[in-house]
Amino acid sequence: MAKDLARYARRRRKNWVILGLSLCATGIGLFFLGAIIFSLLTEGLAAIRPSLFTKMTPAPGSDGGLLNAIYGSAVMTAVGTVVGTPIGILVGTYIAEYSRGNKLGQSIQFINDVLLSAPSIIIGLFVYQLLVVPMGHFSGWAGSTTLAILVIPVVTRTTVDMLILVPNALREAAAALGTPKWKITVSVCYRAARQGMLTGVMLAVARISGETAPLLFTVLSNQFWSTDMNRPIANLPVVISNFALSPYPDWQRLAWGGALLITLTILTLNITARFLANIGSAKQ
Amino acid sequence: MPTNASSAALTGADKPSLTTTPVPPRTDPVSSSKLVEKIQIKDLRFYYKKFEALKTINLSLADKKVTAFIGPSGCGKSTLLRVLNRMYALYPEQRAEGEVLVDGANILDPKIDLNLLRAKIGMVFQKPTPFPMSIFDNIAFGINLYEDLPRAELEDRVEQALRKAALWTEVKDKLKQSGLGLSGGQQQRLCIARAIAVKPEILLLDEPCSALDPISTQKIEELISELKTDYCIVIVTHSMQQAARSSDYTAFMYLGELIEFNDTETVFTNPHNKRTEDYITGRFG
Repeated sequence: MAKDLARYARRRRKNWVILGLSLCATGIGLFFLGAIIFSLLTEGLAAIRPSLFTKMTPAPGSDGGLLNAIYGSAVMTAVGTVVGTPIGILVGTYIAEYSRGNKLGQSIQFINDVLLSAPSIIIGLFVYQLLVVPMGHFSGWAGSTTLAILVIPVVTRTTVDMLILVPNALREAAAALGTPKWKITVSVCYRAARQGMLTGVMLAVARISGETAPLLFTVLSNQFWSTDMNRPIANLPVVISNFALSPYPDWQRLAWGGALLITLTILTLNITARFLANIGSAKQ
Repeated sequence: MPTNASSAALTGADKPSLTTTPVPPRTDPVSSSKLVEKIQIKDLRFYYKKFEALKTINLSLADKKVTAFIGPSGCGKSTLLRVLNRMYALYPEQRAEGEVLVDGANILDPKIDLNLLRAKIGMVFQKPTPFPMSIFDNIAFGINLYEDLPRAELEDRVEQALRKAALWTEVKDKLKQSGLGLSGGQQQRLCIARAIAVKPEILLLDEPCSALDPISTQKIEELISELKTDYCIVIVTHSMQQAARSSDYTAFMYLGELIEFNDTETVFTNPHNKRTEDYITGRFG
């Protein structure tokens, strides 16, 4: 038997060690995730009552809910996503499908990556200078703009990554039928990359729904019911931050409730999106 | 099935005399009628960046005939095929010089509209490339690009294409399912159906059977022999048996040059060039 068994044994030992380390890492990650969800549930469940969804943020000591903040967050997140996603997809499409690795495409991708890792507070400051100062007041629109700017790099990046994964053979097959370039991109490449692109949008929604710092500079918050996007508007992250830091137990409870709410919403959105994408690909 | 003299000759049975005439020996009615030159390739040179992949190719391809390109890997067969529908134009570092006339018009002319050109010239690739959509939509996709058909007529066209590609009976109950769910052989026939659904005049097949099992291969070869009554078919193949079985003409290429071009029987039984003989007798390649 000429096989070097020592060599084989060494390789097996290495495998066990790396497998062990990987499991540890997974365990650590899952532990903190579990701990976060556990503490959110234990502290926040008490706050999940009908009044949370029907009443406004209260003055200290009085009963109230988060309706105005939920509304404000929902609207601003929706506007930010609706504005940012198409821009991100178009930029990503340009980089992946049209720039063919030219200087412009590479530069855009580099800048996009910088934007992706830029602290959100800087985006907030930028929009503060751009919109809040000239307008003279905080507003829901300024907040939505900030969130849209945060959406763009996330969606761009995932769009590029997913489109690059689409095999060239598929593009050639479509081109061989006499398909115009735009139609290849829309009908074949987007379809093939759909699930990944959807994940990108979900990631972006998850990211912006928890952003607090940039909203402090742009929307501030509002203690009362307001649907006027030209005015400061209540929103969950800022309310959570204000209430959590307050000395009033009922405010703190509401903050926990709000945090739980954001987490559950994102979780539901993600699961729904995956579910829909799976149905879509099964039916393809 | 073309159980004709050429495949018999290849197996060594009934070997014809070595003094064959250069006239195409087939006696079927098509070959006795006048041949129409569908594609004329004149002084074609092709470059990948600076690398010259094709060296002054001159070749005419007949309509309603099957022409096979054979030769070892990297000899330029696929490159030549990809010139014929200008697929190379997707990649800016590739360029062709010379003339390729399709029905007398030079398709290398930069003014040629590539989408219209490719709508006229169907192509099937080495690996099956079904689009990520339903079987029906895979076929309808190409038709809808250039024709606005009422639903019933569209369904009819899809059925015809699938029937021609010998796939209809296998998929007729699952047209709404994904094309990706089919087996490799079925996917490849789906791609052939997709290519012929748009009614091209020329069909380019780039090693269409290389990823397929013998039964699927046989089905596709049968399909080729049926389709040649309507199309000018060009097939790149690594399998010399396949070239011998299914083609009327064979071009042997080596290192970017066209070494020999003749009717298939002559190439396989009485090659004029030493390198052709060495290749088909398995001495290299």
